[in-house]
Amino acid sequence: MAADGAKIFGPTCGFCHGVDARGGSAPDLLRSSVVLDDNQGELIGQTVHDGRPTKGMPAFPALTNDQLRDIAEFLHLQVELAANRGTYKALNVVTGDAKAGETYFNGTGKCNTCHSVTGDLAHIGSKMNPPDLQQTFLYPGARQQKPVTGVTVTLPDGTRIIGTLKHLDDFYVSLYDAQNSYHSIPLEKGVTVQVEDKLLFHRQMLDKYTNQQMHDLTAYLVTLK
Amino acid sequence: MKSIFCFLLALLPAVSVAQALDPHKLLQKEPTDTWPTYNGDYSGRRFSPLTQIQASNVHGLALAWMFRVRISGDMRGVGEPEIKSTPLMVNGFLYFTIPDHVYALDARTGVELWHYDWADKGGHLVGNRGVGMYGSWLYFLAPDGWFISLDAKNGKERWRKKVADEKMQYFTTGAPMVVGNHVIVGVGGDAIDVPGYLEARDPATGELQWRWNSEPAKGEPGSETWPDEASMSHGGGMTWLPGTYDPELNLLYWGTGNANPVMAGQGRKGADLWTCSIVALNPDTGKLVWYFQGSPHDTHDWDNTETPVLFDAEVDGKPRKLLAQAARNGYFFVLDRTNGAHIVSKPFVPLNWSKGIDAKGQPIPDPQGQPTVDGNLLTINGGGGTNWMPPSYSPQTGLFYVNANVGYSLTYLTDTSEHPEGYGGSVRGLWSQHVLEAIDHRTGDVKWSHAYTTADAMAGGGQGGPGILTTAGDLLFSGDYNGNLIAFKASDGDILWHFPMSRSLQNGPETYMLDGKQYLVAGGGDTLFAFRLN
Repeated sequence: MAADGAKIFGPTCGFCHGVDARGGSAPDLLRSSVVLDDNQGELIGQTVHDGRPTKGMPAFPALTNDQLRDIAEFLHLQVELAANRGTYKALNVVTGDAKAGETYFNGTGKCNTCHSVTGDLAHIGSKMNPPDLQQTFLYPGARQQKPVTGVTVTLPDGTRIIGTLKHLDDFYVSLYDAQNSYHSIPLEKGVTVQVEDKLLFHRQMLDKYTNQQMHDLTAYLVTLK
Repeated sequence: MKSIFCFLLALLPAVSVAQALDPHKLLQKEPTDTWPTYNGDYSGRRFSPLTQIQASNVHGLALAWMFRVRISGDMRGVGEPEIKSTPLMVNGFLYFTIPDHVYALDARTGVELWHYDWADKGGHLVGNRGVGMYGSWLYFLAPDGWFISLDAKNGKERWRKKVADEKMQYFTTGAPMVVGNHVIVGVGGDAIDVPGYLEARDPATGELQWRWNSEPAKGEPGSETWPDEASMSHGGGMTWLPGTYDPELNLLYWGTGNANPVMAGQGRKGADLWTCSIVALNPDTGKLVWYFQGSPHDTHDWDNTETPVLFDAEVDGKPRKLLAQAARNGYFFVLDRTNGAHIVSKPFVPLNWSKGIDAKGQPIPDPQGQPTVDGNLLTINGGGGTNWMPPSYSPQTGLFYVNANVGYSLTYLTDTSEHPEGYGGSVRGLWSQHVLEAIDHRTGDVKWSHAYTTADAMAGGGQGGPGILTTAGDLLFSGDYNGNLIAFKASDGDILWHFPMSRSLQNGPETYMLDGKQYLVAGGGDTLFAFRLN
């Protein structure tokens, strides 16, 4: 177990290699080929057991095979935690002043024009973790896979087709109308497309927030448990 | 019988050289009957003088053939296969790659002639840019650091050499670049903190000729930009995209990647040379001649590897040898390529991470623009203003074209220790928008731009994307993120033609003459498409 390995590694190896194995008077083990080429402790265990007398590393013959495997697992985990970005976690995004955030929400930020902390945002602090909440209030589209967007297409003869946008590029638009019928329309001359842009205000705000305002707002929204 | 035998003998030499690349073709400016390197020629302009296809008739462009790579299922860690390589076209044969695979096709029909399949033992399958060619020998980089030479005639392996250790998290994606009697090979990988380097290898044997290190050694010039030897010896600066070459100056131009640890810069205070730089090297010795650092002390994963594009133009009435780059950090640079002196340094997308430029024209990072524990709101897309996708320069319009990304992002520091490792930070995207920009190289001003229309602004955000080709037919070929291959009028950005490939363009389109017809070849997802006028 890596956790058991940490307990052995710290007092046994940490003085020279650092308790996090990132090096001290002895090398950084996250970038050691003995560690990176090892699979299940076969190289690490041997090296720790025998030591490297020519390089000044003492032998640790008293460690059991289980303990050597635990050390190896601890080292592999340290490599994984540094090398695999998927394991990274935001440390703490709640550094702002919740009171100032509330003032901003109801004042300069004009958030209360569209949102209510007892309505659509009720318990939002319990529904999302703080980093997700921070990203989402800045731009709600950022975490939605396929935002539902209304669209109005006007044909050259004035006919209007209104519905939910399915696809839009420089060449055609497609949508589902109120009867859930599918329409695919080439964007030829005279065809106009009006896409509902619910997030325009959020986008405009991205140029206006200071980091302090953003962090205050995060701190306030997190309190809405 | 005898006469037939003699006839066959007479034919033999012609057959045996049929697939070989004439080395003079590599030195030719704007070749039209071949596409012999990643960028088509050494300049990196991706401009063709061909005019059979032009603005007035491009609407008649029709599919000649298509070829789909037959890889079943997803590739490890990256999803469905995508063609990010630019095929070489030599004597009617096309050579292209996806990670672990090399294909040879008949350029007339798209028929597969051979397929080389490498069983890797690791490495990242994020992409492969293609092969290099010397005579009838091909060069390919497998993801796990193997540099492999194939016989172009049959795809048989000639030899392989290990150039990078995948266990140290290096991976190799580049198209080897042949310059004279050298094959230039770059490396990638920044998951743990390893040093970058660039190698020249012997075309015949694969033996090492020289190695240039992205970091100086202790006491060498540049070492003063690092706090200590340990940080310097692990500092990143990968060389993963092909460079460019000026035969007259005999200078090789190469971009280097971000410093390591990637986003946590507290253990490597200083400019961190030669990471995030354009370096000019002597291709015969690997010695540094000059450098320009696009992102001093980068903390945003903004590799400066984007193609250094070479062209000659007048600046203030005087002819100059120029180098231009649209960098991932959002700056457009124009340099004098004889000495690296800057002429233009100007953002081509909105950005707030920099406080302007220094006397050398290098951006000055703003301490307020760094990743923070609680998140820093940046007015630039998290992946940067552009990425590896090839740009283009048209001497006909005098414009530099780039697929840019405007947007906003949150950047976080996740490792606050004195000696962080790996990335040490993360980025969250907010809103972003893909925009094709035509930049005036004299001023850095955007002359025209086209924001690709889309239903979902987040689609493809920061995921690399479509390359660009310009031609003397006043055409620009590129693509959107909805699977369309698009022909624009290079001079003003009008859309003239498009073809829905169903999956988006991920490589640089290319063009050449074959049998008197001008072809356009582009990759959409896992399929190569060839077009010509009917």
